[in-house]
Amino acid sequence: MKVDIQSLGTFNQLAHEGAKQATQSLAQMTGIDAVVDVTKITLLNREDVGEELEGQDFVGVQFDFQGALEGDTVLVFESDSVGPITEALIPGGADGEMAKSGVKEIGNIMMSGFIDGWADYLEATIDHSPPTYIEAEGAEILPEAPQLDEQPQVFVFKSQIEWVGESVNFYIYMLPEYDPLAELMAGHAESETDAIPIDKLSVFNEMTTSGTEKAAQNVEMMTGIPTEAEVTQISFAPIEDVPKQVGNDTYVGTVVEFTGAPSGYLMVLFDEVSAQNVAEALMPTEPEGEGLTEQHKAAIEELGNIMTSGFVDGWANVLQTSVDHTPPRLVHDMGQAIVDPLAAQVGQHQEHSFIIESEMRTDEIEFSSEIHALPNEKELRQALDELEVERADETDADVEQIF
Amino acid sequence: MKVYDGSQAEQATTGQPERKKVGIAEYAVTTDGAALTTSGLGSCIGVALYDRETGAAGLVHVMLPRYDEGEGARPKFADTGVEVLLEEMERVGAHRGSIEAKIAGGSDMLDFSENGSSIGSRNAETVRETLTDYDIPIIGEDIGGDHGRSLRLESTTGDLVVKSASQDSATL
Repeated sequence: MKVDIQSLGTFNQLAHEGAKQATQSLAQMTGIDAVVDVTKITLLNREDVGEELEGQDFVGVQFDFQGALEGDTVLVFESDSVGPITEALIPGGADGEMAKSGVKEIGNIMMSGFIDGWADYLEATIDHSPPTYIEAEGAEILPEAPQLDEQPQVFVFKSQIEWVGESVNFYIYMLPEYDPLAELMAGHAESETDAIPIDKLSVFNEMTTSGTEKAAQNVEMMTGIPTEAEVTQISFAPIEDVPKQVGNDTYVGTVVEFTGAPSGYLMVLFDEVSAQNVAEALMPTEPEGEGLTEQHKAAIEELGNIMTSGFVDGWANVLQTSVDHTPPRLVHDMGQAIVDPLAAQVGQHQEHSFIIESEMRTDEIEFSSEIHALPNEKELRQALDELEVERADETDADVEQIF
Repeated sequence: MKVYDGSQAEQATTGQPERKKVGIAEYAVTTDGAALTTSGLGSCIGVALYDRETGAAGLVHVMLPRYDEGEGARPKFADTGVEVLLEEMERVGAHRGSIEAKIAGGSDMLDFSENGSSIGSRNAETVRETLTDYDIPIIGEDIGGDHGRSLRLESTTGDLVVKSASQDSATL
């Protein structure tokens, strides 16, 4: 299977149309004013699907669908949101079975819209089952990801819909079966030159994993805190949706431009609490002053630098090229505002962007960090084109030796 | 094929909302007193238009300078973004002669371009040029610097409240 950039763009549009339909259906039936926040296509390891849902209880509905596309899809929201949502449907609210049927009704309304949106866009028929009510913790709420022996990674279509003015978010996950998706993507491919073979994309994902592991290893070496690389994934989104991938809380971190094959931008971001904790772990003495001091920032700059080097080295090893980067620039600002100028710079040459995301965590102190990379799409495609798939296996072995 | 024109913020709205959120490369207009908000402007620019006579207000969040230099929908670019917002303002009854503009954003933060001016300053330049072409006066602005901004346009007064992570909010 080959994935071409145009067809990824088309599929992203498709997911967006579906989410928009779902939102409109919701508005018509309930008067809830909601907007589609994020829509993206992500390629990741099966076991990492839904990692971002950890630690929360969810309720929602599940459907299976058949036709031009096959698979499972869910619409879920946090259990805490059941109250305001059922209130919108049934004035005065509801408990127990009533609340459950409220959730089911909302789910049905939105997901019929979602699937109709897809079918309209594809000008094809997609049938879906009646909704099943579901409740579970974290990623357990999601349907089983499709299993393929030769393909450890799966495509997941994700949309996030925000109820304006309330802190309620709806999440739609769609996990399509591989073969019908591959067939449909091939049918929507517009040119052979844009295409990236799917096995290369997963190699790329593994490169990112090795980069993240190396970055985590550097953190461990520097801080003495055992650090684990967590999720790594590649997403694809329109350039204007890229800044939304990072929340609007304030972040501290570093940004570099990297050059080579491919070129692009790389951010290492910490939330403020993590930044303070990890910086203090690096300081020989107690910091002077309250909050995030200059000492903290200097420590973060140093840490960002070694994480970046680790990441880029892991990457260059797999590609067997050299990737250089500028000295890190320290940032302390709203998440979206940090990503926005970088997305704009990449967006001068391309309409969509790959976003490489990884996270790392430690058990010892409250600390988590995100790495986001925005590679130049054309150069990435070329680098992947020149990459022999066997090479990734060699590097896998190298990674094993490192640990 | 359906074309997503970035106008989802208004389409998704029913009833009398108090707040409309405008995403990147999107715009919204209001005549019912809603507050229009947009967040996380780095090198992007928020252009707020307000018609003192009719009370119509609109906000667009543009990302790149010129439509003919890129690909994407009109609200994504500074020149066509201003135009599309102006068209929409007139469609809901605003008069060009009484529309005034306030602009914010266009930061130079994280600009790695070694030669030439930053995207933030090119965005600002294009917004100014386009507004001048349409004889819309800019009566308030908070442009440049090296920090991000979030905006809230109070459509009952035309006030544009600018917030940043490190500074107190200011009203234009």
